Amino acid sequence: MEAAVLRYRVMAYITGVVLVFLCFVGIPLQVAGHPAVANNVGVVHGILYIIYLVFAWILSRKLRLANKPTVIMLLAGTVPIMTFIVERWITRRFIAPALASQAETAEPVSPRAS
Amino acid sequence: MENAAPLEGAGPAGGAGLTDGASPAAAAVTAPSGPVWRFLFAPRWLGWHLFMVVSFWGMLWLGDWQFHRAMSGNALSWAYTFEWPLFAGFAVVFWAKTIRDEFRIKRGETLTGSSEEAESLPFGVGTIHVPAAQSAVPADDEDPELSAYNAYLTRLNAEVKNHGRWHGLR
Repeated sequence: MEAAVLRYRVMAYITGVVLVFLCFVGIPLQVAGHPAVANNVGVVHGILYIIYLVFAWILSRKLRLANKPTVIMLLAGTVPIMTFIVERWITRRFIAPALASQAETAEPVSPRAS
Repeated sequence: MENAAPLEGAGPAGGAGLTDGASPAAAAVTAPSGPVWRFLFAPRWLGWHLFMVVSFWGMLWLGDWQFHRAMSGNALSWAYTFEWPLFAGFAVVFWAKTIRDEFRIKRGETLTGSSEEAESLPFGVGTIHVPAAQSAVPADDEDPELSAYNAYLTRLNAEVKNHGRWHGLR
């Protein structure tokens, strides 16, 4: 569970950073007549997004997310900045309660034998 | 709780020995109102089916479009020519697995019984809640630091109890 969360989070941030770079650096350069950056970063984002999709999907299954949050999570990797917002939302709304419920299964510490 | 609200009564409560008697889900358990597969035809699910069909064919169409661009000399389009059909395939696999899991939940089975799956059970399912009165009031011979810690655990438990239950988690 923690591993799945970590994988998702890492990919969310990497994909998000690359996408922001693509949209706010690559696209303006492309418009200005230098398409090389946008082309290369675009392909990199495509590959990263595939990995992001797989990890986000695995996490959504582990969290037993309903369809809507799952789709939002998967599509977030295609909208600039949205990855960060959705990652925070998913963490607060779903990951934190799920991890807390895991911790809850641990019994309170029993008194020491005196 | 996004899915198939009308069949809520047939929900996951039977899944893993619900022991929290105070939970509303436990009180609301009723007999399923029909065959298990009926949830697939609930309006909400029909909407999802439509969404999946449209996105599947849309992605194949985009792949075809990129293929034609690639054929007419745009080398960059080759990457997308393969990527779009891959996404379309993902959509099908994800969708099939979602429906399969939904069937298992409706039938009250536990999802693929690996231990990691069991660990990720949502609140109130498969866990025993320690009644607050028991652990919050320490026995006389207890170390005060320890009982403060136990009280803290109890408070945390009470704070997060049932969070997310009706907001997307199953």
